[in-house]
Amino acid sequence: MTGTISDQEQGPDARAEDGGPPLTSGSGGSSAVPGSGGAPAVSGPGGRKLWIDLLGLGSVALILMALYGALIVAPTEAVMGDVQRIFYFHMPSAWVALGPAFTVVFVCSIIYLAKRDLKFDRIAGASAEIGVMFTTITLVTGPLWARPIWGAYWTWDPRLTTTLVLWFIYVAYLMLRSSTAEGHKRARLAAVFGIVGWIDVPIVFMSIRWWRTIHPTLINGQGMQMDPTMQAVLMFSLFAFTILYVYLLIVRVRQLDLGSRVDRLRQQLLMR
Amino acid sequence: MNQIGFLFAGYAVIWVVLGTYFVFVGRRQTALKREVERLERELQAQA
Repeated sequence: MTGTISDQEQGPDARAEDGGPPLTSGSGGSSAVPGSGGAPAVSGPGGRKLWIDLLGLGSVALILMALYGALIVAPTEAVMGDVQRIFYFHMPSAWVALGPAFTVVFVCSIIYLAKRDLKFDRIAGASAEIGVMFTTITLVTGPLWARPIWGAYWTWDPRLTTTLVLWFIYVAYLMLRSSTAEGHKRARLAAVFGIVGWIDVPIVFMSIRWWRTIHPTLINGQGMQMDPTMQAVLMFSLFAFTILYVYLLIVRVRQLDLGSRVDRLRQQLLMR
Repeated sequence: MNQIGFLFAGYAVIWVVLGTYFVFVGRRQTALKREVERLERELQAQA
């Protein structure tokens, strides 16, 4: 998240209250505002950086390769047939949501409460959005896989139920963020919600071990029970989805930084 | 719907959701950049 301003507790909220000197746009060296230091108008949070574009292209290429692996390379599953190929995108979606996405929300929420830096609030918000998106993919692809196998789109199985609860938790988190104006008050509320909401993540993960479930289990006491080719395709998909998550997080955080800069510029205009 | 149909539906959902998010991010980026440029022009004009 290069070129972002660290919004500390003495940041925009305090500045607006005490009427101190307005911020100049100083994010990442991008400044076309007079008196801001004379830095050239090169890429800041709103400008393009080549490495981000390359990361984006790379992540799309990886996803397409993962798709090829899932549909062509992976062997047909002996019992479930071709519909099992949904698994190679279903599980990585769940991994991104439960692993990096919501955990980043949890960690950044803690860091925000410790440091009162709005940058971490923005990262948490962006990561939660991406996590909800991938959880949605998980909750839709799972039933499409389940219907021909179990004979039903949905059961109140522990894994499915706890994942649905997780989706509701983070949708509520996003609704909380969108219903409150940006600032430290929203960040505090969201941080507490983000920390408490993460409690469901290990519950989802452990649900197939704690309760009786019909949801497939990949890993048991003897390790991962899969054909080696299937395992390789799955690992590649997991990698591709992780890279995609990283790219989306970077892009979205930079966008939120840009939004924050817009707010500051508006404040400057109002003060003149 | 047969197995291939469910498989196709599953992947179609994935691409629709990802595509929608990409479009949302792209549009937001364009709007924000325009707003930044407009505000900076106004600030320069006032200065």
